[in-house]
Amino acid sequence: MTADELGAAAATSAAPTPGARPGAAVLRGGNALLGLLGFATFLALLEVVPRLGLVSSDYLPPFSRIVGALGDLLREGGFWAAVGDTVWSWFLGLLIAVTLGIVVGFVVGTVPVLREFTASTIEFLRPIPSVALIPLAVLVFGLSIKSTLLLVVYASFWQVLIQVLYGVADVDPVARDTARSFGLGRWARTLHVTWPTALPYVFTGVRLAAAVALILAITAELVIGIPGLGAEIGVAQQSGAVPRMYALVVVTGVFGVVVNVGFRALERRLLSWHTSVRSEVPV
Amino acid sequence: MKRRPLVSVLAAAALLAATAACGEDDPADGMTSIKVGAIPIVDVAPLHVGIAKGFFREQKLNVEVINATGGAAVVPGVVSGQFDFGFGNVVSMIIARSQGIELRALASGNSSTGRQGADFCGLVVAGNSSAKTAEDLEGKKIAVNNLKNISETSVRASIRKAGGDPSGATFVELPFPDMPAAVAAHRVDAALVVEPFLTLARDQGARVVASSFVDAAPNLTVATYFTAQQTIDERKDVVDRFTAAINKSLAYTQANPDAARQALLTYTQIAPEVANRLTLPAWPPQINRSSVQAVSQLMVEDGLVTRPVDVTAMLP
Repeated sequence: MTADELGAAAATSAAPTPGARPGAAVLRGGNALLGLLGFATFLALLEVVPRLGLVSSDYLPPFSRIVGALGDLLREGGFWAAVGDTVWSWFLGLLIAVTLGIVVGFVVGTVPVLREFTASTIEFLRPIPSVALIPLAVLVFGLSIKSTLLLVVYASFWQVLIQVLYGVADVDPVARDTARSFGLGRWARTLHVTWPTALPYVFTGVRLAAAVALILAITAELVIGIPGLGAEIGVAQQSGAVPRMYALVVVTGVFGVVVNVGFRALERRLLSWHTSVRSEVPV
Repeated sequence: MKRRPLVSVLAAAALLAATAACGEDDPADGMTSIKVGAIPIVDVAPLHVGIAKGFFREQKLNVEVINATGGAAVVPGVVSGQFDFGFGNVVSMIIARSQGIELRALASGNSSTGRQGADFCGLVVAGNSSAKTAEDLEGKKIAVNNLKNISETSVRASIRKAGGDPSGATFVELPFPDMPAAVAAHRVDAALVVEPFLTLARDQGARVVASSFVDAAPNLTVATYFTAQQTIDERKDVVDRFTAAINKSLAYTQANPDAARQALLTYTQIAPEVANRLTLPAWPPQINRSSVQAVSQLMVEDGLVTRPVDVTAMLP
């Protein structure tokens, strides 16, 4: 999980140009079938490896047993309550982080003095893994959703902030000077020049933050025991209910895929005018 | 049951106690709402049985059980006032007391059955291990769920009692759910496992070489229900009602083990077939004071605390 956070952090510090997504273009070709075949092979391996006894089926049940446990889960009211808890803390945390990230990013990014003033502090705070704050969260907020929110907001805020800072810095000087010479005020320049430039960066930040927020929401629930999918995984683990545990892990994986696909679709729709998105369309 | 890393910051939690609000009285029906911090494990079955049987409602208490995954949150939760009461093992409490944190046990939590080879906790080795008794584990690698806690202290007691020298043993920390696999794969030479993993490990061929909780002290009190001294000072009445209800629950569950097995199906995910045959802990209504004293003594010998803790001050 920390690796994911680091990966996301590395991606941000590399200041990605929003258009540069070669992988996406390749995947969109005629290779969808191959991708499906690869996934089917993966599932077949999950079924066969435990059945052949390469790994004890006590610890890695065959995929069909996991599916069976998943079927039982879907019929439980408690499971859906846990899904609701996780979705709610993920959403709320993300909303707070994105709002804060955009506001702080624009203010800090457009005032050069402020940017210099905060740079070292941001670089110090950003790499602190959110999970290191778990003891603090437990002491201050206990087993409440506030603990989850603290971790989620802390981790995902930086994803948004850094992207917004890069976006604001990316404004074309000619466009900015033109706007100024046309007599546009600070507010109008922000709205018509800076905001459209930064928007693709904001979206990249939100998409990264959405994934990180999910990781931290599940982590907080699993480690602290705050109600949600993570806590359900914990209870299943402590009860030796192995297939159920894997079924819950699969659910969190599906959740992650849905979040990522959803935000990509949203990005494509809202930024359809932008070159970064247009270039993704195969010609 | 990972709570050790937090103990050092417990003092900070005490400062937060003033800000927490809990145990609200509802004047309409005279009921008091309380929060109990617990862990979803076999040991806390009486709490759930007591709630289901209405023993807490008799005392005009509305209980909300808050399950921490690892127990890491229970002691700080009680200290900071987020929970009115908590369930936790004796060693954690002694460590907290040794750091000047004012916790007080109210009732017995659970206890070893006191029967060698038929306890809810066992020191297991792989089926094909050469070890026959705990003495053979001298200098070996042993998994416990928490370093510097009741497990480590009890395993040392087992080796000592079997005539061995525990000083050469290496202890590694491993969560209970991972122990059966680690033992079967010989990644560790032995592990101190509790139910339901003891039953699962045995199903996979593991052998019990010692019942370490039995070796640590006769009828060892493993855990207690406790609260902060501040709660006793300020809300004696609620504390007395909780104590009465939990004691009634303990007595009932001890006399009706099937009620405990039923309760396991509600707050854990233990398979019904396993719940029916696992070894339940004992739930005597009294704390075995001499066992707590013995554990405190063992903790000094093993260097978990620097000097003996005044056990009488922390027991009811």
